[in-house]
Amino acid sequence: MEPVFLFSQFFNGLVLGCIYVLLSLGLTVVFGTLGVVNFAHGALYMLGAYAAYTISSKLQLNFLACLVLCPLIVAAIGMILEKFLISKLYKLPHYYNLLLTFGIMFIIQDAVKIIFGPEGEPFNIPELLQGAVNLGFMYYPKYRLFILVVTAGLSLGLWLFIEKTRLGAIIRAGTDNAEMADALGTNISWTFTLIFGLGAGLSGLAGVLAAPIQNVQPAMGMDILVQTFVVVIIGGMGSIAGSILAGLVIGQILTFSIVFWPPGSTTLIYAFMALVLVTRPRGFFGRVSFFE
Amino acid sequence: MQLKARHKTAGIIVGAALLLAAPYLAPYQALATQMLIFAIFAIGFDILFGYTGLLSFGHAAFFGLGAYGTGLSLIHLTSSVPLALGLGILLAVLVAVPMGFLSTQRHGIYFAMVTLAFAQLIYFIAFQWRSLTGGDDGLQGVPRPSLGPVDLSSDLVYYYFVLLMFILALVVGVRVIRSPFGRVLQALRENGDRAMSVGYDPRKYKLISFVISAGFAALAGGLYAMLQNFVPLFSLGLDLSGEIVLMTLVGGMGTIYGPVVGAMAIVYVKDFLSSQTDVWPLIMGLLYVVSVMTFRRGVVKELKERLLKS
Repeated sequence: MEPVFLFSQFFNGLVLGCIYVLLSLGLTVVFGTLGVVNFAHGALYMLGAYAAYTISSKLQLNFLACLVLCPLIVAAIGMILEKFLISKLYKLPHYYNLLLTFGIMFIIQDAVKIIFGPEGEPFNIPELLQGAVNLGFMYYPKYRLFILVVTAGLSLGLWLFIEKTRLGAIIRAGTDNAEMADALGTNISWTFTLIFGLGAGLSGLAGVLAAPIQNVQPAMGMDILVQTFVVVIIGGMGSIAGSILAGLVIGQILTFSIVFWPPGSTTLIYAFMALVLVTRPRGFFGRVSFFE
Repeated sequence: MQLKARHKTAGIIVGAALLLAAPYLAPYQALATQMLIFAIFAIGFDILFGYTGLLSFGHAAFFGLGAYGTGLSLIHLTSSVPLALGLGILLAVLVAVPMGFLSTQRHGIYFAMVTLAFAQLIYFIAFQWRSLTGGDDGLQGVPRPSLGPVDLSSDLVYYYFVLLMFILALVVGVRVIRSPFGRVLQALRENGDRAMSVGYDPRKYKLISFVISAGFAALAGGLYAMLQNFVPLFSLGLDLSGEIVLMTLVGGMGTIYGPVVGAMAIVYVKDFLSSQTDVWPLIMGLLYVVSVMTFRRGVVKELKERLLKS
């Protein structure tokens, strides 16, 4: 096999990994601070993609507008869900919110199916980002490099945000010590809403970025949701570094299994998860007694 | 308390009468059978979720393994119904042991996510292994052979066979919960550290509870395969894993009879809705939201409370 081919597959793995990183970052921040496993996370990702489809093909706005508007729209939807439903259940055992978001997932998915139809929608790569770039040793599609750059920038931005801002300090308090965040109480309920909105916005952004490289269809969120769970289980729930590392690893496993052993593309990541659980029950960076 | 005993006897008599008459009351006989099958599934799930306090979000795996195991046995190996059901349960138990061993390392939300991920693994194996499982077409042509002299091919006779299995499952379920073993499970649910400090190994008990509930799920799955003469791929799927949680929760977790009622009600409602409208996933989603937001303690507990007050 040509080294160039392997290199381009490696890059494809990185790009796919970026989508998982964005999704699992949102899931992890929400989980770490609010203790909610958001089953609707995949559905919000799907909404991001459909928002991009609607904005670009119906409103004829350009891709940059999608990149800004769609995460905001999805974040707003997430904040409404948090404010009116999810926040009511914080004091109850965790599985109530799990089931609630599971139900919300069905509602969103079916509503999109009713509005847009069960078939997928085409989404073209924006003109500005079409074509390939010469990296010296190979040519690589511009748009995929763009995803890499955006994700790297966003991860850095998120890290700075969490390290340097007040909201970030609350997230840190939450991910470091669950009881600490709990002790902060309901006085900061708007902060919780914002954090949920941040998680939703990240999944919406992942949806916009993925739209041109995947089919935009109602089931796309359901398919990726469980894989994102695998990423956070492997990375260690609540850990940002864990999400990034595990997301990239899963991207590689998925991409290379499609090349070398296609039937394994749907199963290998779970086998890998089992292996991680045997050797490191809490994942790469997981800590003891964390919302357990 | 006398009031309670009287209500209990009345409840049992009414319940028994309803169960005996169900095939004549339901819109069609197979629906009544399906309601019982999911009630068996719910009894087992309640042992794990309601009594041990472990929320598995991957229990469809065992329902599906029981269905495929029984179905494949009937197609390729044997025409004995008990043997085929036993093989289905064996298959599920053989998977439940390592899966439970790995998942019970983690608690709470992690347990739910790990079980979900393993269930997806099994789902995709069945999806890929077309030559054996039929992939997404499902396993076609599962026979429903006679049980000794009893011909099960009529839906009515099969209902009463499943009813027998249901009563068996109910008796075993109640015995498990009221046994010393069941008491330990409830102690673990209430306070794991304390149970551990008096010498119980939580992981061992959790694992056994996990395997027992997998066995119930597999029995239900095997009966389902024979009912439909077919094993659909969704019998292993995420939707079903969620549904069994909803059934248990709506009925009232930790009450055995509650989840039985919850399972029957949801199977009925789902059948009704999907015959009326093709947007039933949306309505099911609303049902999740409404029951979690308002009907948290379950139907049976609410009713019990009201009866005791009256």
